[in-house]
Amino acid sequence: MIARRDLLRLGAAAALLAGCAPTKSERRDDRIRLWVAPNAAEESFWKIAVARWNAAGRGLPVSFTTIPTAGNSEDTVLSALVAGTEPDLSTNIFSGFAVQLATLGQVEDLAAMPGYADLIARRHMAAIMPGWTQNGRVPAMPIYSSPTLLWWRADILEANGLGAPPETYEQVYAFSDRYGAGRRARYGMQVIAGRAWQDRWFDFIPFYYAASGGRPYLDATRALYANAAGLQVATFMNRMFRQGWTALDFDAEEPLVSGLAAGAVRGPWDVERFANIYPETLARIAVGPMVAATPSSGPAATFSDSKGVVIFRSSRVKRQAFDFLSWVLGDEALNLLWLQQTGLSPARADLLENSRFAPYYRRSALGRAYAEHVASARPPALSEYTIDVQKIMSSQLIEPVMTGQRAPAAALRDAVAATDRMLEAQA
Amino acid sequence: MIRRAAISREAIVGLTLVGVYLAYTAVFWAYPFFWLAKLSVTQWRFFDDPVFVGARNLVRIVQDPQFLGSLWNVVRFLAFYLPLAFGGSLLVAFGLQQVGRGRAFVALCFLLSNVSSGVALSLVFLKIFSTTGPLNNTLYDAVGIRIPWTNHPTLAMLAIALVVAWKFVGYYGLIVYSGLLTVPKELYDAARLDHAGVWRRLVNITLPMLNPQLMMVLTFAILVSFGLFTEPFLITGGGPADSTVPPQMVIYETAFRRLQPSHAATMSIIISLASYLLVVLARRLFERKVVIA
Repeated sequence: MIARRDLLRLGAAAALLAGCAPTKSERRDDRIRLWVAPNAAEESFWKIAVARWNAAGRGLPVSFTTIPTAGNSEDTVLSALVAGTEPDLSTNIFSGFAVQLATLGQVEDLAAMPGYADLIARRHMAAIMPGWTQNGRVPAMPIYSSPTLLWWRADILEANGLGAPPETYEQVYAFSDRYGAGRRARYGMQVIAGRAWQDRWFDFIPFYYAASGGRPYLDATRALYANAAGLQVATFMNRMFRQGWTALDFDAEEPLVSGLAAGAVRGPWDVERFANIYPETLARIAVGPMVAATPSSGPAATFSDSKGVVIFRSSRVKRQAFDFLSWVLGDEALNLLWLQQTGLSPARADLLENSRFAPYYRRSALGRAYAEHVASARPPALSEYTIDVQKIMSSQLIEPVMTGQRAPAAALRDAVAATDRMLEAQA
Repeated sequence: MIRRAAISREAIVGLTLVGVYLAYTAVFWAYPFFWLAKLSVTQWRFFDDPVFVGARNLVRIVQDPQFLGSLWNVVRFLAFYLPLAFGGSLLVAFGLQQVGRGRAFVALCFLLSNVSSGVALSLVFLKIFSTTGPLNNTLYDAVGIRIPWTNHPTLAMLAIALVVAWKFVGYYGLIVYSGLLTVPKELYDAARLDHAGVWRRLVNITLPMLNPQLMMVLTFAILVSFGLFTEPFLITGGGPADSTVPPQMVIYETAFRRLQPSHAATMSIIISLASYLLVVLARRLFERKVVIA
C-alpha cells in the first residue's frame, strides 16, 4: 500500500520530470500552424479565412493563433525560433526583419515556391514585389501595404485660402507663414515624427521617396540619398524649423485635433484610431500626398509600412503552407474581406480598377486615398542594418537640421558618409 | 538502517529546504551566468552553434563608439542625478522630521512614486517636457521662449535625471530619515552649548552620522544609472544624437534588433564590472565608520 508520503514524493518527482520535458515542439506534418498579428481586426479575418479553407478541404487543415506576445512580435518570433516552437507560417513580419531572418537561414525563399509567379500575376503584385526582393529572393510576401500620407485639417486649409491639400514645398511654406502668424503658437505641419530610429519611416524616408520618385535610399553597401532629392528634403525640413513653421516635437497632444499643427504624416491605421477617439476631427481631415518640390503627375511615391508573411525553414509542410498562402492572398473575395475587417489595403496594385473593391472605396474617401498610393508606395530598404542606418540618419541628418547645428547639405554629407562607413565596417 | 541513522530527519528537512534554493539558483542564476560567460567568448547568432572567438567580442565592443558613448552617458546622468538624489532625499528626510501627525501617510505618499509604473510616469513627463507641452506653453506665454527639454543633449539628460529622481527621491528620503532617527539628540544639545550654528551642526554632526544611509543612497543611485532603460527609451528614444542612450538600451538593441547576442553578452559583462567597480570606488572614497563612543 502506498503511503501518503510516498504519494507526495511521487507527485513531486512527476512535477520535476514534467518541468524537465523537452521544450521543442514536435514538428507536425498533419496540419499547418499559423501565427497572426495580435489584434482583433486581423484575428477576425483569419478566423473566417481559416474556417473557409478547412471547410473546403483544399489541403492540409490550418490551425492559427495570435502571436503570443505582450509587446513586440519580432522578439516573440525570435524567441520561438530559438526555442524551436515557431509555427509554419507567421504574419506581421516587416521586410527588414524578414531579411534578417533570411540572412540567418530561418525562412524560405518564396520566389522558389511552385505557383509563386501565378500568385504575383493573380494578385497584381508585380509593381510591389521589387521592394520585397533581395538578390532575386523573396523572404516574405506582403499581405497589406499602408502608405504614409499627409493628413490636413480641411477646415484650417480653407480658412487660409487653400481648397485642397498642398502638394509642393512652396505651398506648405506659404500656408505655414499665414497659419503660424500671430501670438498663439500654431504650426503649419508636423515635419518630424519623433526621435526614435523607427520614426524616420514617417518623416525623412517618405519625403525622400516623394522627392525622388520612389528611388531607393540604400543598397547593400552604401547610402543613396546624397543627391538632389535628399538635399531638397533636408532643405525643406531646415526651412520649416528655421522659420518656426514646425515644432521640435508634438509629444504633448495630437496636433491635428487642437489645430496646433494643420498637417501631419499619418497612416491608414490612424483612421480607426481617430474614428474611435477623435471622430469630429476625422470628419475634417483631407488627405494629401507627401509634398515635394514639384507636384507629381500621378500618385506620388511614399513610404509603405507593410507587413508580410514568412514560411519558416523548419516547417515540414512548406509546399502545403504556400498553397494555403497562395489561396488566401490570391482570392479577391478574401482580399475584400481583409479590407473590410482591417481597413488596411491589400498589397495589390489594382485596388481602384477592380470592380470587387469599388463599392468599399466609394464609401471610404480616406481608404481610397490610401489605395491610390499602394502601387507607388515603397517599403523600407531591405537591410539587416536598418536600425544603424536610421540611427545615423537621426543623429547626423535630422537632429542637426532640426536644431540648426548643420546646414542641410553638410548634414546630408555627414549622414551618408557615416552610413557608408558603418556598412563598410559591417561588411 | 545504518544509512538512516547517518542522515538525521533534521538534516533531510534542511537539505530539502536548501535544495529548493540551490535548484532555483542553479536554474535562474548559475545557468544564465555560465551561458552569458560562454556567449561572451563565442560568436552566436541565435540559430547556429557558438564558435569560440576568444577576446574578439571584447575588442570589438571596446571600440564600439555607441557602447562607449552609452558609458559616458552614465557619467553624464550621474552628474545630474546625484545632486538631485542627495539634495532631494535630505529635503524629504528633514521635511518628514517636521511633520507632526500623519507622518506615516506622508511617507507612504513618497513611496507611491517609487512603486508607480516607469512607463506611465515616462509618458506623463513626455507630455510635460514637450516643446508644445504645458510647461513650455506657460513659459512661452510669460516670456516668449520654449525650452527644448528633450531635444537638446544636455537638457534631455537633465530631463531624464529629473524623472528618475522624482521616482526614487522619496524612497531615498525614507532611508535617510531612518538614519536621522538614530542620531542621538545629545550630540546636538552639546553642539548648541558650544554655540554651533545650524550649518555647522549639519556639516559636523548630521551628515557624518548619516554616512551609512548616504552611502546606501549613493550605491542605489549608481545601480539605477547602469540599469536605466524605460525613461530614456520612452522619453527621448536615446536621442538627440544618442546623448541619452543608456547601456541597457544598447544591449537590448544589439541582442534583439541587430541579432548579435554574443556582443550583447560581452556588453552586459562589462556593464556589470563597471557598476561593481564604481560602487567599490565610491565606498573606498566616501564610506566612513560611524561609531558613537
